[in-house]
Amino acid sequence: MLKALYTIFAVGVVSLYSVAALLGWEISGGSRHQLPPDARQNGYRSFHFWHYGLHGGK
Amino acid sequence: MSVLVANCPSCGAPIEFKSGQSIVVICQYCHSAVARTDRELKDLGKVAELVETGSPLDVGLRGTWKDVPFELTGRAQLGHEMGGQWDEWYATFSNGWLGWLAEAQGRFYITFQYPIPEGTYVPTFEQLQLGQEVYGLPWPTKLMVAETGRATALGAKGEIPYLLTPGETYDYADLSGANGAFGTIDYNETPPLIFLGQQVTLADLGITTTRAPEKEERRVEAAQLGCPNCGGPLELRAPDKTERVTCPNCNSLLDVNQGKLQFLKALEKPWFQPVIPLGTTGEVPEGKMTVIGAMARSVTIEGTQYFWSEYLLYQPQIGFRWLVNSDDHWNYVRAIPPGDVYEATKTAVYNDKSYRIFQDAQARVEVVVGEFYWKVETGEQVRGVDYVKPPYMLSKEVSTTYVNDPNAKKKKRTTGEINWSLGTYIPVQEIEKRFSVTGLPRPSGIAPNQPYKHWWIYKYWLAFIVLLGLAGVLAFVFAGSTSQAYSQTVNFPALPNEDGTQVFFSEPFELKGRRNIRIVGQSPVQNTWVYLEGDLINDETGVVQSFPIDISYYQGVEDGESWSEGGQEDSAYTSSLPGGRYVLRLEGQWERWQQPAVVSVQVEQNVTRGFNFLVAIILLSIGPVLMIIYHIGFERRRWSESMFGGGDDSDDDDD
Repeated sequence: MLKALYTIFAVGVVSLYSVAALLGWEISGGSRHQLPPDARQNGYRSFHFWHYGLHGGK
Repeated sequence: MSVLVANCPSCGAPIEFKSGQSIVVICQYCHSAVARTDRELKDLGKVAELVETGSPLDVGLRGTWKDVPFELTGRAQLGHEMGGQWDEWYATFSNGWLGWLAEAQGRFYITFQYPIPEGTYVPTFEQLQLGQEVYGLPWPTKLMVAETGRATALGAKGEIPYLLTPGETYDYADLSGANGAFGTIDYNETPPLIFLGQQVTLADLGITTTRAPEKEERRVEAAQLGCPNCGGPLELRAPDKTERVTCPNCNSLLDVNQGKLQFLKALEKPWFQPVIPLGTTGEVPEGKMTVIGAMARSVTIEGTQYFWSEYLLYQPQIGFRWLVNSDDHWNYVRAIPPGDVYEATKTAVYNDKSYRIFQDAQARVEVVVGEFYWKVETGEQVRGVDYVKPPYMLSKEVSTTYVNDPNAKKKKRTTGEINWSLGTYIPVQEIEKRFSVTGLPRPSGIAPNQPYKHWWIYKYWLAFIVLLGLAGVLAFVFAGSTSQAYSQTVNFPALPNEDGTQVFFSEPFELKGRRNIRIVGQSPVQNTWVYLEGDLINDETGVVQSFPIDISYYQGVEDGESWSEGGQEDSAYTSSLPGGRYVLRLEGQWERWQQPAVVSVQVEQNVTRGFNFLVAIILLSIGPVLMIIYHIGFERRRWSESMFGGGDDSDDDDD
């Protein structure tokens, strides 16, 4: 039972590592977002957008 | 071809000396032992009828040893002073050799007489100690004393190469050495005679099918007898081997002599009941065997009495084996030659494996039930020493008996033997399955030789780490080299105020899909910091990947020693982004806001990074590390039961 569990888990870990290496996945703290369509149309370079739009004010 | 044909001086029947080396021939009509001298034939007296031992050998049987043919020309049956008997067969070889083939408990030993080398001192019988090495014997391996005792000539058949006098007794010592070496010192003469050889199988002697079918039938057949005390029915499952049996009806202890029962003493109703009933047949590693006897034994350690039980198994073709049940753990046990074990202070070596001492105590027989091949008594004591190497246990039992001998110079002498056995741990479930019994109690503690069940985790661990390493190497080989997607030195003007920021947008650049990304920021800061909030923005899809770059570098001299902290470079990693054109946005803040800041930034792809690999190793190691902790606890519990406990926790199993 334990053997099967560990084997499944370990195969999963090695597989995940291999897929990550193949697809360029990294464990990192950065976040990923999607620009709203209107921001792309109106220009996302404005100070106002980055401070009150995408990052929610900072 | 006969050497001498004559008439028996006792009954006149014809007798024949076939071998020139024969001294005595047993008259097959009147059982007189007839010795030939230079001038006449001499009647030495009548020998007893041979006890049927179920031996596969017989006088007249032929075989070969070391490519030399031989014939068994005689047989003597010798009585052991502690009960029971053994056979010695005399092998006359075609090249003039004379061999002694001893047979006891289904084992065979072939020996030849050797002259004592000049200058060799053979200890006297009184000087011999069990376990001592006998030096100077012409044999390639060391030989140690495994048994000492007194033999009595009981019966004989055929031709005997020495002056066998019926009823005569003599002292002997059996020797044992590595690789089945065996020897006997015969103190019947002065100086003693030395016989050396080795344990053999019938196949080694070129003897294959020797037993007549009717003899075989008789050997395996159980005997139905009546108890001489209560008259109740009693079955002997090993009639040709049993020396003692208990009556299942009245609990009498009975002596078995040539199939006849003799009442010895009444035993109390046993508190011990075998959990595997007598007569049960089970499949053990060497074949099918039947439980013919059981006994409870005990040791007393620091005032506490500990009990266990032993089940005697028998099968004519295999011999005797034991099942030992201690604290609901089970072991299958077989005897091994004493000379094959090398014993040091706290270890014993057998078959190149080292065993650690676990217990050394005086074991006592408490209860006996069923049949036994020796004259067992309740209260019988031996010194038992156990050595372990899971799943095996080497056990030494030393029995020493003081015998009163009013006729000897030394009125009291000791006799005894050393027996070694090898036990193999068998899980209780397997015992239930093999012996078709149910409901055996489950063990709660750890047995001295209980194997640790989870050794596999270390092999699996190593295997998956290797697999992970291979995956890492392949990923490195196939990923190709690191490529630079963008590089720029950015000059940020001074901030408008302390909380203000400056923003930089790059020209669009190409990022490839399925490749990780590293953004490296460098700034020539000295005892200050620059912080960049970065974003990679896909112009076409609107995907934004944010990342932080935190550059801080401090240095100084304190108490005459220089120090530094941080660096003038920081990097951030992100997972791959869909391939396409991206803009890099950097929003900067820095401590010295009144001054402009210079930051060099590079965006790279296909960067080798060990972080994922490290995380994978940690994940793979969580289970094994927990198992190591459990394993250490397991070994501590095992050795807490030992009188030699503690110390090394890393006892390895032969799993």
